[in-house]
Amino acid sequence: MASGKRDLLPGTLDMLILRTLSVSPMHGYGIAQHIKRLSRDVLQVDEGSLYPALQRLRQRGWLKAEWRRTPNNQRARYYTITAEGREQLGQEEAGFGELIAAIQRVMRGAT
Amino acid sequence: MTLTEVWNRLRDRLRRDQLTQELDEELRFHHAMLQRDQPERDARQTLGNMTSHMENSRDLWSFGWVDDLLQDIRYAARGLRSRPGFTIAVVLTLALGIGANAAIFSIVDRLLFRAPPMLAHPELTNRVYVAQSDRGREGVWPGMSYGRYLELARWTTSFAHTAAFTTQTMAVGVGDDAREMQVAAVNASFFELFDAPATIGRYFTSREDTPPNGTPVVVLSHALWQVRFGARSDAVGASLQIGPTIYTVIGVAPAGFAGLSTTLPPAVYIPISSYAATSGYQGEPGDEWWQTYHWNFAQMIAERKPGVTVAQASADLNNAYRRSYAVQRDASPEIPPVERARPRAIVASVLAERGPNASRVAKVATLVGAMAFVVLLIACANVANLLLARALRRRREIAVRLALGVSRARLLTQLLTESVLLALLGGAAGLLAAQWGGGALKSLFLPQDAATGVVRDPRTLVVAGGAALLAGLLTGLAPVWQSRRADLTNDLKAGAREGGATQHRSRTRGVLLVVQGALSVVLLVGAGLFVRSLWHARDLRLGYDVNPVLIAELNMRGVKLDSARAVSLRQQLLERARTLPGVERAALHMSVPFWKTLDGRNGIGVDLRVAGVDSVDRLGEFYLDAVSPDYFTTLGTRILRGRGIGEQDAGDAPGAMVVSEAMAKVLWPGADAIGQCVRVVTYGRTAGSTPCTYVVGVAEDIKSQSLSEDRNYHYYLSSAQFHPQQAGLFVRMHGDAGPQVETIRRALQALMPGASYVTVTPFADVIGGQMRSWRVGATVFVAFGALALLLAAIGLYSVIAYNVAQRTHEMGVRIAMGAKVGDVLGLVVGQGLRLGIAGVVIGGTIAYSGARWVKPLLFQESARDPAVYALVAAVLLAVAVVASYIPARRAARVDPNIALRAE
Repeated sequence: MASGKRDLLPGTLDMLILRTLSVSPMHGYGIAQHIKRLSRDVLQVDEGSLYPALQRLRQRGWLKAEWRRTPNNQRARYYTITAEGREQLGQEEAGFGELIAAIQRVMRGAT
Repeated sequence: MTLTEVWNRLRDRLRRDQLTQELDEELRFHHAMLQRDQPERDARQTLGNMTSHMENSRDLWSFGWVDDLLQDIRYAARGLRSRPGFTIAVVLTLALGIGANAAIFSIVDRLLFRAPPMLAHPELTNRVYVAQSDRGREGVWPGMSYGRYLELARWTTSFAHTAAFTTQTMAVGVGDDAREMQVAAVNASFFELFDAPATIGRYFTSREDTPPNGTPVVVLSHALWQVRFGARSDAVGASLQIGPTIYTVIGVAPAGFAGLSTTLPPAVYIPISSYAATSGYQGEPGDEWWQTYHWNFAQMIAERKPGVTVAQASADLNNAYRRSYAVQRDASPEIPPVERARPRAIVASVLAERGPNASRVAKVATLVGAMAFVVLLIACANVANLLLARALRRRREIAVRLALGVSRARLLTQLLTESVLLALLGGAAGLLAAQWGGGALKSLFLPQDAATGVVRDPRTLVVAGGAALLAGLLTGLAPVWQSRRADLTNDLKAGAREGGATQHRSRTRGVLLVVQGALSVVLLVGAGLFVRSLWHARDLRLGYDVNPVLIAELNMRGVKLDSARAVSLRQQLLERARTLPGVERAALHMSVPFWKTLDGRNGIGVDLRVAGVDSVDRLGEFYLDAVSPDYFTTLGTRILRGRGIGEQDAGDAPGAMVVSEAMAKVLWPGADAIGQCVRVVTYGRTAGSTPCTYVVGVAEDIKSQSLSEDRNYHYYLSSAQFHPQQAGLFVRMHGDAGPQVETIRRALQALMPGASYVTVTPFADVIGGQMRSWRVGATVFVAFGALALLLAAIGLYSVIAYNVAQRTHEMGVRIAMGAKVGDVLGLVVGQGLRLGIAGVVIGGTIAYSGARWVKPLLFQESARDPAVYALVAAVLLAVAVVASYIPARRAARVDPNIALRAE
């Protein structure tokens, strides 16, 4: 793995996708770019995990998908977060916050 | 998984192709964007990954086991299509087994398990039977008098509803439209037992069902309403003649309502009071039809209150019955005291065939059900054998697949899928077979039934489906068990020829064959026993001829003739009958054996007095008939001594009587009966005022109550001297009487006055009912036994033939070493014979130890008849020899050169 890139913690990809889509509907490539940009290139989501994740979230009813035109007039599938998706995002954020805080406490105690 | 997710997955599975295409497009877009933004990336690498991305997503919109299953089914179907001979053999074998089960189930279910339709509380509803003892023997009857019913209903507290009912065959309609139909005469409360609102109109009320006369109103069955009244709503208010009376239609029962009948549904429902008032019963004042204890025409049905057990209800009813009996004895002190009569009421199943004791036909049906199951087992064993042989042939295929990493669980599922698929095909074919063959079976068991076939009966469909699944699992088990211990390396190396593990495999197949043989022996022994019973019953001398005789019954229906005119009408009919072509003789009768017989004492209160005998009726039942000259020659009953009733026994001549041989022996032991005096004291007269009737002849004994009766005695008076209220004709034809029923009926009908009519029935139909349980048993056992034998023969043949084919090489070696044709034949046939002997021994033991259950269903036949066992053993061994001889011949003709070279 190239330096500057980090593997995602397991289970966080779903949260990142939901968070990204809570800003505005986006296509898959847009989601990957958005995460990459905001994480300053640390998090790189490859399509091998992104698209199955999108399908899974859609099946769980947290996303909706529809074909639209991009500003450049290309056909692309746009994903929109649903009400259930927002609820799920809230739960995951809370859980994630607790997890990070707990990890930080442990790490501080160790140093 | 949440429900939403399952739902979405299922939807995705159905539009998988579309989703794949969309994902493909999405990924292309993604890569196009990547190309634009990062042209330095290796396009080939990304595109190469695409396939695996697709696979990952595809997993999401497929359903693991569903897809596996679909794939297994496709695979199995392909395999079966490629071997049509094998598939057809298996499907037909299973079809026979499953079809037999479905057909039998639909009958046993109707007879013994299914409550009458629309009954509100089947689990709380019971038929009530009454029992009384007479000279130490207890008799059980469904019928009781209406007076008895009223007291049982009044003096019990266990029941929410009670009702009296009777079902009679009566003429419905007038003129050409008149047909004999089932008529249910019921209490108004009868309908409260059901949850069956009238389709149109209403049911009758208790006001319309009050003694003495009731109101002539009728509720039509749905079927009659459709046929007779074209399902018009103005049928309510219409008139319909039933028997002697014109009824007014007040309502129509819903479709499917059949009262308590499981076989022949009533056409109409009338108040029991209206029926009883016009039935012809003539009671004395104070002993009218609703008061008497003598006219036992009514049956009782009762619905227990919730929470009341059968035992509590029985105790309650018993008290009421004893009280009622005490009241009866106060009025007629001549009946035996309670301690001797021991009156007892029995609360029994609502299904008539279950009764207080299951009827013999019901018992035979149960036995046949067990037999059908055995046939299914045999079919399964056969199919398991075929599948095993197939699995052995596919050993290499299976080894290769295992070596390629297919999981064993998956492989087993696949084998099971194949056998279940076969069994379901067999089940479908079996249902078709049951639909056709079931009709024949049904006409044996439920001769008057017009119900729908098995394919439209959901309960039968469920059972057939269950039988098919069971068969699939049972038959699949054997090859699965085998492949469990598949030895990979060995199987991969081995050619089509059997390797070392074979010994074990042919042992499994041998065991299956022995099981088949044993079960066939059991069925064949049963067949033999029933066939012999039927022969015994047929050969039994009944004391009269059956086949050439017709019974003509006169139904007076509203026409009231005085005694003299009744006598002259009968005389006219008799003379007319004698002149008809084809008629040999004709005579008048009052009784018909097995149909309507008259116990002189209990029936019409006739008391016999014989000098030197204290109480004649202690000796047994004395059945009375009043007959015209020529009676004995018409019926073919032999006169052993003296003469029959003749022309000389006219009204003014001294009373004449013919007695049965047994009666002569019991009344005058050691003395000559001819010329003895018997005083026939009729109801209301005394012995002193009754003149002698002299015995003029002794006739052979006849069977009139059951085929195995004893202590039943018969005497015959002259109909010119003892004028019966009702009489009919026996007509003896030249040859078989059956085909001439209609000619005789028409000729006699022409003489009948008013609305009265004649029915003509072959005597053979009446007697046939007595033979029914044995005929049913014999027919079905023989059919199933033959089926089982055929299956066993096929199984034996296929296994031996397969073994011979596998051992071609060995045979070649043997012949090359100088073995004779006879040696090879002996080797192979011996193998078949050993299996056959094992089957005979095991099956014989099973049949022998099960004998006591079959015994009560047989007639003058030991359930351990050695002749039957010997014959069955011979048949099975012969079949074993023949089935193995054919492949043995092939083995003996093996050319050693070819056999040795073919490797």
